[in-house]
Amino acid sequence: MKVLQNKFMPKLSVVVIAYNNELYIEEALESLADQTYSNLEVVVVNDSSTDSTGIIIDKFIKGKPNFKAIHLKENSGGCSVPRNTGISNSTGEYIMFLDGDDWYTKDACEKMVVALNKTDSDFVAGQVIRTNNYEVWYYRQIYSRERLHINIREFPILFFDSLSVNKIYKRSFLNKHNLRFPEGIHYEDIVFTGKAYFLADSVSIIPEPIYYWRVVEDAEVKSITNQRYDFKNLKNRIEAHRQLDDFLKLNNAFLYQSHKNNKFLRHDLKLYTNDYLYYDEDYKEKFHKLIFDYLNEVMDPYAFIILPEKERIMYYLLFMGDREGFEDFIYYKNGFSTKQDRLYNVGKQYYFQTTNSRSNIKCEKFLKLDKVEINYRLEDISLKENEFSFDGIVELNSINQKEFTVLWILKNRQTRESIYGKQLKSNRVVFDITSLNFGNFYLTILINHLGNTHKKIVKFSNIIGDCNIKITSSVSTKRIFVNHKNSLAIQVTPVKLTKKVIWKFKRRKLLKNNDKASIVSSIINYICKRIIEKLPVKKNWILFESHMGKQFSDSPKYIYLELCKKKRRKYKFFWSLEQPDLIDIPGSAKKVKRNSLKHYYYLNRSKYWVDNQGMAHLTKKKSDQVYLQTWHGTPLKKMGYEQKGILEKNEKKKLKLQTRSWDYFISPNPYSTKVFKKAFRYSGEVLEVGYPRNDILKNFSKMTADNIRRKLDIANANKIILFAPTFRDWEPDAFRKIYYDLYKISQCIKDTNTILLIRLHYLLSDKLSNIQLPYNIKNVSSYQDIQELYLITDILITDYSSVMFDFSILNRPIIFYCYDLEEYIARRGTYFNLVNKAPGPICRSINEVLYFINNSEELSKYLEDVKGFRSEFGMLEDGNATSRVISKIFN
Amino acid sequence: MHRKNIVFVLNEYNGLGGAQRVASILAKEFIKDKHNVAVLSINEKKGEISYFNFKIPVKVLHPNGYRAPMPIEIAPNLRSLKLRKVIKELKRRYLLKKKRLEVEKFFSTYGDEEVFVIVVQVYGMQWLEPLLYKKNIRIIGQSHESYKASKNSFRFKRILKYYRQIDKFLLLTSKDKQSFEMHDFTNTGVVYNPTAFRQKTDPRKRYKNKTIISTGRLVDNKGFDILIQAFSEISQQIPDWNLFIYGDGPEKANLQALIEALNLKNRVFLKGKVEDVKSVLTISSIFVLTSRAEGLPMSLIEAQSCGLPCISTDCAPGIREIIKEYKNGYVGPVDDIQVIARHMKRLILNENLFYSFSNNAYDHSAKFDLSNIRKQWYSIFEQLGGRKDESTTE
Repeated sequence: MKVLQNKFMPKLSVVVIAYNNELYIEEALESLADQTYSNLEVVVVNDSSTDSTGIIIDKFIKGKPNFKAIHLKENSGGCSVPRNTGISNSTGEYIMFLDGDDWYTKDACEKMVVALNKTDSDFVAGQVIRTNNYEVWYYRQIYSRERLHINIREFPILFFDSLSVNKIYKRSFLNKHNLRFPEGIHYEDIVFTGKAYFLADSVSIIPEPIYYWRVVEDAEVKSITNQRYDFKNLKNRIEAHRQLDDFLKLNNAFLYQSHKNNKFLRHDLKLYTNDYLYYDEDYKEKFHKLIFDYLNEVMDPYAFIILPEKERIMYYLLFMGDREGFEDFIYYKNGFSTKQDRLYNVGKQYYFQTTNSRSNIKCEKFLKLDKVEINYRLEDISLKENEFSFDGIVELNSINQKEFTVLWILKNRQTRESIYGKQLKSNRVVFDITSLNFGNFYLTILINHLGNTHKKIVKFSNIIGDCNIKITSSVSTKRIFVNHKNSLAIQVTPVKLTKKVIWKFKRRKLLKNNDKASIVSSIINYICKRIIEKLPVKKNWILFESHMGKQFSDSPKYIYLELCKKKRRKYKFFWSLEQPDLIDIPGSAKKVKRNSLKHYYYLNRSKYWVDNQGMAHLTKKKSDQVYLQTWHGTPLKKMGYEQKGILEKNEKKKLKLQTRSWDYFISPNPYSTKVFKKAFRYSGEVLEVGYPRNDILKNFSKMTADNIRRKLDIANANKIILFAPTFRDWEPDAFRKIYYDLYKISQCIKDTNTILLIRLHYLLSDKLSNIQLPYNIKNVSSYQDIQELYLITDILITDYSSVMFDFSILNRPIIFYCYDLEEYIARRGTYFNLVNKAPGPICRSINEVLYFINNSEELSKYLEDVKGFRSEFGMLEDGNATSRVISKIFN
Repeated sequence: MHRKNIVFVLNEYNGLGGAQRVASILAKEFIKDKHNVAVLSINEKKGEISYFNFKIPVKVLHPNGYRAPMPIEIAPNLRSLKLRKVIKELKRRYLLKKKRLEVEKFFSTYGDEEVFVIVVQVYGMQWLEPLLYKKNIRIIGQSHESYKASKNSFRFKRILKYYRQIDKFLLLTSKDKQSFEMHDFTNTGVVYNPTAFRQKTDPRKRYKNKTIISTGRLVDNKGFDILIQAFSEISQQIPDWNLFIYGDGPEKANLQALIEALNLKNRVFLKGKVEDVKSVLTISSIFVLTSRAEGLPMSLIEAQSCGLPCISTDCAPGIREIIKEYKNGYVGPVDDIQVIARHMKRLILNENLFYSFSNNAYDHSAKFDLSNIRKQWYSIFEQLGGRKDESTTE
């Protein structure tokens, strides 16, 4: 019987350490005396307490033979000596530890012994409950379920566990490895537990609360490990980590250093950076020195790359020893202003700028920011029947105030109706709400920073002053409304019940329009399309399209205008457009929305298709339909099958579908004919007649030019520079660089009468629309026809765009702004060497461009080259290309 | 002092809950100061006794006992033909609208005099929404439970929805205040519950009563089962001490069965409801609260005001506002029978400790003295006083 008991109930020693715990020590001992496990030996080590702790201990153990007290002669200053003393003065097969201010649950010992017996692990760990929130400390994931026979090498999250007290150890395990608490340092648990995990073959975890950790929140004296404002504390912690690092090195466990680093960064260092703002100068200085040394000792920057944004950037800056940058980042994260503007963007991506003046490019990946911090406040809110207004102040933290513009919007989230606020000279923002529909209109800030849009829903807590306002008219009630998420809205509700019901139905309708097509309508669509395909072709119908319906422009436009004039046959014209309501088309043409059912109808029934890009994929072309492909420019970059990089199978298929459907192809010169035939593998008829769109450049009158100036609101006296960069498809955001260039040009143009027109590629045409530009810069990206702009342009700035070919016909100077010439050639490939043939200076920086703008004599030297260029590429352009095309096809 | 109009909004004005207790104490005090005080009660408990046993006008909004459910969407329920749900919701909306008009009418009797509305319980705020936009009305909302407790209840949704635009949102402790500030509340403040009486008794006399007391409704949340079991653990070691539990409720039979099972029929007594708490506190020694969720419990405050050392489960930040551990009482984890039992034993077996805790308890309760709390309320009124800017309203 006795033997059996020993086997299943081995002797457990609990080592209790106490130092000045007179308030709590009795509770700790009581929790041991009340344990359900009986084969228990308790060794209380009193670390020379100066209060009544020793007396309480002695009184408590009186008459309890399994309780033993050891009073140390002098205070050891930590936990290690008392615990080690306890280990050597106890005899149990198993060992547990308890601190004098904590306590065990009633059956902690029993559960731990049973688990250790059952698993035969080296040690077993149980849950710790902290009394500030009664939740499981520290990593829920570790302790949330039973884990048997695990090892830290397969389960590196165990690095996050550095508590020694919630575990039961086999004495044989401690002795085999001579594992004791390191004396002379604080944070002995980090070293002890870290070592224990590495030395153990097998560890088990039971998901049971074992240990209550007392957290005294309003304590006058914080416990040793909680005095973070004392520099010694940090020093001790780093010292403990260094000891563990050495251990890993010596025990061939350096493979796992990165996991340990991860824990150090996510847990230990975070505790100190959280408090950084409260440190004094002396502390800060020592802090940077110590952390810089330690980080550089055991890790490289890639230890940070897996961390969340805030930690990644903070630790990277600490690692680099960039104290100013680190401090600015802390200010930034806490919403304070930084000493210098630190945020910058490359395209959509934002970065934090280090103090180091060298280029940031190589380390940018460590300094990425997900979003910019927007600070805003609203003051002096006023709501009237017809007007909602307030003072709105918006700041982007650590970004220059001049780089962004702000737009205020009231938006109904359900119906998507929105109205825009007007910003007056002061900070006053005014909304005209006279005709606001019913519903909740939430106030939103849209910030445009160098082409990036940032959105912020206005929160009630950012409003200063009273704003509970309600206004009732005969029709509606308008009031300031705050929803449960604290968002601010203008709520408009109808007064009469009948109005309310009518509105509900109307809203349903509005909502429906926003939904995707219903099943019914898509079936109808399908049937209609099949019927439409069967209908015969109309001989006198012509369908036009330019740049996939984005514009009324280019050769299709001029062919259309010419056909309108002639009226020889009764043609019916159709223009396919993406936004038919926004584009005016002179003459009798009918506008149809691209990709609508109507569009499909005209696509199938028109005999002629006139287009400059590609529309063959929209339907199956019939054999009696005629497709005139005008194309949109003389080729410089490689195209079609010759594009750089390997075309994917379906891309080839698409290309084939397009080129096979062309019946006529317009070429502006013999060079192009050769290139097109090869690049498109096109064997159909080529009309080598010049571009119809260029006729206007030959035939225009001064009146035409003046009209265009008037349309753009530019006086005749103004000199005009047109800046038309092309698209970089490997970097669609490259146009953002233009923003800086524009400001530079705006500031450095000497002639104040000069106006710069900026025209982006049609794929990017709306990118500048919300940005405020300097007075001498005008955005003409949405102007329909670039040909008209040439007429009024004195100097053209371009890069690799085909506008150079058209513009050279006018015999006016061209500046080439090719800052990325090599990259462009490498990526896209060209048919000829631009450097040799370019009819103007090739500038590699915006300063060179400015030099030529400001020195017109220098620029005019290149006019000879323009002439040569024209005679090579524009010799067919005599102003009659359109009629040549028409006589060939529409006769 | 200028005569103020003050209206308390309660779920029910009668019944012996903590909220009613607080409201009645304050109301009595405000009346004593010659203010014009009224009660707007959403429901009433027919035939129950009330703390409002003095002269005060009471308006009941739903005398027939209608209890508004949480709002639901109509359309999805209509689609799935849950007509009963739809009808219930329509009824809720109709009644809410109707009763809001009634509330507006009630407040129109004040003309444009300044009115301070104290919404003691969150539920009542939904009927007061139109008052938000009245320039003469100041709304002070309260939540009489801890952040954690309200987070686990549907009241949290109501707080988020209705308490944003009110003038002041009063919590019981600064910890709860901080928690709500995390949800972007900027109108928060803290006021403690007041105690209507404070009475110093000789700790020796008090000890001689040898009685542990607890009060509250006999419901699961109050955790009396824990208290009875804790008492049972140590009953042999404190042979001449008894446990008295005052209150009534659905758990009564269960608790009685537990007492009998533990053979404590002669030691533990369920005494039923009591109106005069002070008198039963006078004849007791130690107050023990073993609740599972609370706010700033009146029962603890009142016990402390009579100089009773208190032991409580750590079920809300409010507990530590009342009990200063190891000075005037003890705190233990929720549902922890052993720790509560050991604390009771410690206090009972150390007479001197009991005396010092008892003295400290009385001293500490000054924090909740009515005169103090009254001052805080007047300073809130003052802070909110002064009318809203006329020009911003029409």
